[in-house]
Amino acid sequence: MEPILKIENLDKVYPDGTVALSNINFNVYPGEFVVVIGPSGAGKSTLLRCMNRLVEPTNGNVIFKDKKINKANSKQVKQIRREIGMVFQNFNLIDRLTVLNNVLHGRLGYTNTIKGSLGIFSKKDITEAEEILARVGLSKQKYKRADELSGGQMQRVGISRALSQRPRLILADEPIASLDPASSKNIMDHIYNICTEDKITAIVNLHQVEVAIKYATRIIGIQNGEVIFDGQPSQLTDKVIDEIYHDRRPPLVHAQ
Amino acid sequence: MHNKGKRVMELEEIRDIRQRKRVQTILITLLVVGLTIWSALGTDFSVYEVFSGLGLISNFVFIDLLPPDVSTSGSLLGAILETLYMGFVGMVVGAMIALVLSFLAAGTTTPHPIIQVVVRAFTSIIRNIPGLIWALILVASYGIGVTVGTLSLILGSVGFLTRVFADTLEEIDTGKIEALNATGSSYLQVLAQGVFPQFIPGFVAWSLYNLELNIRASTIIGMVGGGGIGFAIQKGIKLFQYKEVSMAIILVLVLILSTEFLTSKIRERII
Repeated sequence: MEPILKIENLDKVYPDGTVALSNINFNVYPGEFVVVIGPSGAGKSTLLRCMNRLVEPTNGNVIFKDKKINKANSKQVKQIRREIGMVFQNFNLIDRLTVLNNVLHGRLGYTNTIKGSLGIFSKKDITEAEEILARVGLSKQKYKRADELSGGQMQRVGISRALSQRPRLILADEPIASLDPASSKNIMDHIYNICTEDKITAIVNLHQVEVAIKYATRIIGIQNGEVIFDGQPSQLTDKVIDEIYHDRRPPLVHAQ
Repeated sequence: MHNKGKRVMELEEIRDIRQRKRVQTILITLLVVGLTIWSALGTDFSVYEVFSGLGLISNFVFIDLLPPDVSTSGSLLGAILETLYMGFVGMVVGAMIALVLSFLAAGTTTPHPIIQVVVRAFTSIIRNIPGLIWALILVASYGIGVTVGTLSLILGSVGFLTRVFADTLEEIDTGKIEALNATGSSYLQVLAQGVFPQFIPGFVAWSLYNLELNIRASTIIGMVGGGGIGFAIQKGIKLFQYKEVSMAIILVLVLILSTEFLTSKIRERII
């Protein structure tokens, strides 16, 4: 099977000299539920943002469905982004707009600039957005302002926004880091079930190892901007977890 | 042994820092006191003179100004409305122009850094020339009247509002902008759907505050030929019609207080 996303020799060095990613290589195949784990500052967020070019990679390639997103011009980048939904730690909803309007933001990339700016969406888009909201159990809230919701509800709107893009790939950056345990489980269940049912590939950043093991079909462990584990959840031994979370350089890296 | 040496060094360092702080505090205090004395000497300021003037002030207020001549309020009403119109039009037109300029001047929304610098520089020049000076310049070309007052208020509003709007735009949550960019939205869509909703409360609050500033400023601008109640006050003073002047001052106070009251009510409602 052809990979949906290829990461080749990816480096990211920030202008202040911080090396966020160095020589990252992996392929993601359709239907995978990949969880990226690692301590804070390991480069998880940067990695995810290089995939839809919210962060400009320094070197290397990010290839989504045979298109090099790092070589694309700004119009092509927008077209590629339409197929990649993103879910954020802080939900990033527009507080003063309605829940429905926030979900419809997922359609902006498909809507004409002027209509989109004025918030005019097609009947079809609206019906679909309502269906998505029903699916995550927020039908009653659709006309509420986004800032009237609880954290867990806000994240469900965040997921709905990503879904309304009809994405092939969902990137979730610490989707449960700002939530309580009950909402966290609810949100992870929603992301997992929806991705499985709709055959959407998912890459999720997490820092809770237990959650990663529970949902992932594959786990990638990164530390100091390098991949130090890539395998099945069952292969993730305590020793490996220790290596990922403690600032000990694993033998593999000593070789250089 | 080694650790102990290190601790002693740290303690000495802390003592050093404390001593330096104390010296700094003393120097700053001396500087402020020195500057105050110097300025007082330079302006011949004396507390005695302040108190000796009190008698004259009370004479002027209680004999010349008071009681206000209520019968003139009818003719002054036209002037006070002019002041209100000037302030309002200045705010509305100024806010519209500033809205466009501020999107160019804010780091988060500007299409290009060079545009940002140019717009910032341009509005900073406008802002740093007081409304009074604008009025004096404009009187030369437009003659005395409401046009001059309105134009100088528009200029003042543009200068002030562009600055505060741009600052508001720069405080906007960039995560939300990132989220809209991630959906493949265009620049205009991100501005309209992501930035603008977050900007509305600041836009309304600052515009209303600008209306208050304008009404205060329009009184002063009126005195140098901008029309409105300021011009009426100036005319009254020149003709020694102090009872009329005091009536005008009361009307100004009423206008300013009621605008302040109204704007704060509107602000509460909208935000």
